[in-house]
Amino acid sequence: MADPYQPRSPFAPWDRRELPGMFDVEESARRIGNYKWAEIKLFEALGGWVATVPELDVKMRLGTHCYKHAWHSELWHKRLPELREMNPDRLTQPPNDAMVHFVEALTEPEAAEQTIEKLVGVYRVFIPHFVAAYTFHKNNTSQITDAPTIRSLHFVLQDEMDDWRDGEMLIQSLLRTPDDVARASAHQARLEQMMLDAGGIAGPGSIGNPYAAGNGATTH
Amino acid sequence: MSATGVTVTPQRFQFVHFDAELIQRVAESLVAALGLDRPVVIEVDETTPLARIDVTIDDAVTIRVESGAFEDTRRPRHQSEQATAASLGRVLLRARDRLLGGFGEAPADDRLTLAQTAAWNAYCAGRLARLGVHVAPQRWQYDFRNRHGFHDLADVAFERLWASDGLTWGELDEISRTAQHP
Amino acid sequence: MRKFFPVEELARDERFNQVTMKERMADPRSGLPSAPGERSRSNRLVPSRPDASQAARALMHGIFVGEIQALEGAGRTCHDFRTAGDSARRAQDDAHDGVDTDDAVPFALKLDMARQAWDEARHVEISVKLSDWMGSEIGEFAENTVLFQAACSTDPILRLAGVNRALEGLAIDVFTTMKEFGDLAGDPFLEFCEDWMLADEVTHVKMGSDWLRRVTEHDPERRKKALEFQGVVDKLFSYGGTRSDSQESPIGLARRFRELAGFSDHEVEEIAEVSLAALEERKAAVAAMQSAARDVEQLAGG
Repeated sequence: MADPYQPRSPFAPWDRRELPGMFDVEESARRIGNYKWAEIKLFEALGGWVATVPELDVKMRLGTHCYKHAWHSELWHKRLPELREMNPDRLTQPPNDAMVHFVEALTEPEAAEQTIEKLVGVYRVFIPHFVAAYTFHKNNTSQITDAPTIRSLHFVLQDEMDDWRDGEMLIQSLLRTPDDVARASAHQARLEQMMLDAGGIAGPGSIGNPYAAGNGATTH
Repeated sequence: MSATGVTVTPQRFQFVHFDAELIQRVAESLVAALGLDRPVVIEVDETTPLARIDVTIDDAVTIRVESGAFEDTRRPRHQSEQATAASLGRVLLRARDRLLGGFGEAPADDRLTLAQTAAWNAYCAGRLARLGVHVAPQRWQYDFRNRHGFHDLADVAFERLWASDGLTWGELDEISRTAQHP
Repeated sequence: MRKFFPVEELARDERFNQVTMKERMADPRSGLPSAPGERSRSNRLVPSRPDASQAARALMHGIFVGEIQALEGAGRTCHDFRTAGDSARRAQDDAHDGVDTDDAVPFALKLDMARQAWDEARHVEISVKLSDWMGSEIGEFAENTVLFQAACSTDPILRLAGVNRALEGLAIDVFTTMKEFGDLAGDPFLEFCEDWMLADEVTHVKMGSDWLRRVTEHDPERRKKALEFQGVVDKLFSYGGTRSDSQESPIGLARRFRELAGFSDHEVEEIAEVSLAALEERKAAVAAMQSAARDVEQLAGG
């Protein structure tokens, strides 16, 4: 029988988590405020579009995804006070004006004939950028000090990946002519350009900077 | 009365946008397909949206039908040719069953149990489908299950009724009775 | 995307045909006894009704399109109203509206509405499957758009009263009737599904009741206005007597589940009275329309 009093390493051999992380408390809170703002804008848009799309399967998916993004925003809302931000509204902001313009352009399509544009904006531009920003955050924050954020990021990323796949399949099923493909591509290019101006969900540095010297990632 | 023996009243409708000529045409086509040999009188009650149909058989087959039976459920107060054909076809088939024999022991329509009615409707709907009238099998199966139970035995009985021709009342009633006891 | 969405533009594929409540009420036909005050037969939707299967299919389709509109309504509430504290959105709204609107709602209220959108999306899925099971096709029956029309006010508190208390309250009544129908008929899917949906609807009504109380806690006038609006919508949703305590109505008032959802006894009594009044008004209106039609017929004949 094993001796329960025999000393063991506090970190088991398979637990390779590291202490250092790229973000301090303040930077982590800033990013999370940006995430919350963007998730709110996304769930508002998805909810608003439900009434505007005639395709029944798309209508139901948008309603379902609307809740998932609302839940993500709630997770970030609850995380902010734990990061010393007692007034979560103060940090619930877009990273810059370019992001506001991006969201305006994203939510522009309203007509019943524009389901392709609506879905492309969300599932080929916005959500891939969420996936990128969240993945960067998860892989660069301290695995020990920021474990609560990492846990939320795991849940959120699982949703984002599932929804990304759902949305992409809906888009592929709606693209039936060369003209549809051209519409989708043009809209994606326009929004991607605007997202480039914004620098990503949390502004420039959302996914680090692979051209920087050293470890390949900077926040700004 | 037309040459083929179908009369429709009223000829002009006040409450609904129905066409008496269309009802007559549909009825004539069904009468010819079923080989009915006596006059058919169709009286539409347009004051109610319900869909009950009463039939009396003497020298003529008299059908008293509430407007809902001919209505396009997508467009209230408008007529559906498909619903007109399905409703008339079902009651004309029942009338023919009674006239051709084998159904002498069948109770009068108002004495049929709900299960017997559902069984006879399933038998009629299957034959109508084979005549080319649009009827949705699942709709009649649901009605049959409501009256006989939601189990495999009821489904087997429904399939048998749907696929049958030339049943007698005794055979139909037996299928219905056994379907109720899994 | 506009801030408020007109009912006439609710997007549907070509299978659907939408009708307004006005068109519905202009139908001079009635399955009800024609004389006001007359109480003759029970129209309650139970399996022993000879037309039970067809009536259940029609009601199921009504639930299906009602769920679509409830989904749209919940989704629009997520979009139409600014989250309190969202200064960027405030600037946008003011620029678009040209007026200094004050329709911000608490963040948690919008989260509840998003949750409701997911629930309603599931209800649409369930309704599609159940309709198929019952032998109905999508769009087989006309879609009455009164739910969205009546419930989607531009005032967030009125919308809560309309959508979460009147519309979802009606859903409690309808689901209770259908659950009992499925139970009596021995339908394994209908009873099961309605039970689940009923649980969600009780939650939605409770959300509405809670938010109405909280948001108007210090504004009794606004609360009064919202409850009056709910009364008007409740009467509309009685569909001229389709839902009431009377046995003449196919759908009954689900008192126990309404209590669970936060309706007071007094409120349930009020809805019962309003529904009965709607039934009597409908019978009188039908009698008048039928009399007028007969007069026209006699004039034409004479």
